[in-house]
Amino acid sequence: MTLFQEFLALVAIICSLSACTNTTIERTSDATAVPAIATSTYSESSLASSSTVYFSYDNYNINSTGSEKIKSLASIVKENGLNVRVEGHCDERGTREYNLALGEKRANAIAELLIINGVSSSNITTVSYGEEKPESRGSNEKSWSKNRRALIKTS
Amino acid sequence: MMQSFYKIIYLLLILSSTYLSSQLRIEITGGSDEPIRVAMVPFEWKLNSAPSHYLHEIVKKDLESFAEFAVLNPEDMLSYPSLEEEISYRDWRLLKVDYLIIGSVLKSEIEGEVNIAYSILDVSRRKNIHKALIKGSVKSLKRMGHNISDRIYHKINGIPGIFSTRIAYVDKPLSDADSYDLRITDIDGDGDLSLFKSNQPILSPDWSPNGKEIAYVSFEEGTSRIYIQELATGNRRALKRERGINSSPSWSPNGNYLSAVLSKGDNPDIYLYNLRSNAWTPLTGHYGIDTEPDWSPDGKSLIFTSNRSGSPQIYEINISSMRIKRKTFEGTYNARARYLPDGKNIIYVHRRKGVFHIALHNLRTGKISILTDTFLDESPSVAPNGNVIIYATKDRETDTDILAGVTINGKTRFILPSVSGGAREPAWSPILDKY
Repeated sequence: MTLFQEFLALVAIICSLSACTNTTIERTSDATAVPAIATSTYSESSLASSSTVYFSYDNYNINSTGSEKIKSLASIVKENGLNVRVEGHCDERGTREYNLALGEKRANAIAELLIINGVSSSNITTVSYGEEKPESRGSNEKSWSKNRRALIKTS
Repeated sequence: MMQSFYKIIYLLLILSSTYLSSQLRIEITGGSDEPIRVAMVPFEWKLNSAPSHYLHEIVKKDLESFAEFAVLNPEDMLSYPSLEEEISYRDWRLLKVDYLIIGSVLKSEIEGEVNIAYSILDVSRRKNIHKALIKGSVKSLKRMGHNISDRIYHKINGIPGIFSTRIAYVDKPLSDADSYDLRITDIDGDGDLSLFKSNQPILSPDWSPNGKEIAYVSFEEGTSRIYIQELATGNRRALKRERGINSSPSWSPNGNYLSAVLSKGDNPDIYLYNLRSNAWTPLTGHYGIDTEPDWSPDGKSLIFTSNRSGSPQIYEINISSMRIKRKTFEGTYNARARYLPDGKNIIYVHRRKGVFHIALHNLRTGKISILTDTFLDESPSVAPNGNVIIYATKDRETDTDILAGVTINGKTRFILPSVSGGAREPAWSPILDKY
């Protein structure tokens, strides 16, 4: 188990515990189903550094600027024995679940290029956030182009 | 003596009261259909305590929700019958009323309970078309009102009323980038409650067929995972997690399975999850993206989005034969389809000239109708009577996420403004209050 996986596991345990302990039941006077609130907080690890690769619309091909970035990043990762977390993101256009899939295709494309450049797959984790975590708010191409991205976080 | 005193007070209260402000704002766009004209005489109140709600106000608000009905105000009535023999049909014909509703709220032998006796009358035929006695707690008067609205709607329109249903949605306040809140609300905007809060994304809520649980996706562990939460207790359980995406849950009509999306095979595919054995079984295995499954009402097939042809399109898979058929051919973006309760029509997100709309598609004739003209429309969800659709869109003026709706004939459009400026991912409940 890598340190990062251990961290995730620990976070998962803390989350599940807090979700249980924070569960409270709110009764309403006039409803058959009485909903209850549960809460969860997940804190992201303080990852050392991150770099960003941008994509064109509805696409997961890495352009030349992106692949140059990944190449130099791969050598740093190898030299220092770092772990990599790749996050795939999309702009808000289209459906949320399709974008979640598209974000994963982007994250996987980055992961594959890291592996081609010698990074061990066991040091890479990928996650897609789809359109859920935009970098820039606003419904225009300026914002959208910033949001179609993969974040490569190393620690 | 006492009773007539209360009756006078009651009538005075009715005539002077103003309607409660609704969170559901309706804007009727086009359509030449005349609404059905209904009159509901304020029910005779035979209890010794003052009413907490006026049934005729609840019913008026409900029936007028989607502009299908116009309900006469009590001050415009010529008479106030509460029994059939007191009706002067001439009065109601003069007011051009199609259907008349009369009734009484009566004392029950059980402490804290009331009985409501009422009738629906067809004015032109001078005929009683529905007579009922419903019982309930004095405290649940509002719910009983919605129940009466559902029955009236059903008797007159021939399809179930949806005024006792609820909508689940995800609230993401503008003021806080890291706050996600899964909530449910009655369709009139009342009873808005939080189910689950997180600082990580929540998406794709889906109601169990019995309306008692909601499945959804939460990123609380840093990756996507599907959870099921029981409404009555708030208890949550997680589905067995697999590597990669765990998302897009859709309950089978019998409640025994979920269809969902996993990408453990290196690309997103549709899987079945057996809720008894907690085991995943793959349904599709294409190298492209397969996502957004929805179960047909008969439980025999699923529709889903796939980009196997190069662009996202809607496909249908027969679960027993595993045969896959492409259903959409118009345009280069068709996604997130949902069946209507008849199983013969589907709705989905359709891009036309770069704009995302909600489209209605008849699977037999292939006819496509665009239902919406808002901006960045997504996440359509169908009311359990198949007559209304709710979806998420963007309010361009304020640049906020809002929920909007449209009737299936495209004639009535409405919006549900959110307090926080960030409502998304609506999911309409099944019929909850059976009658």
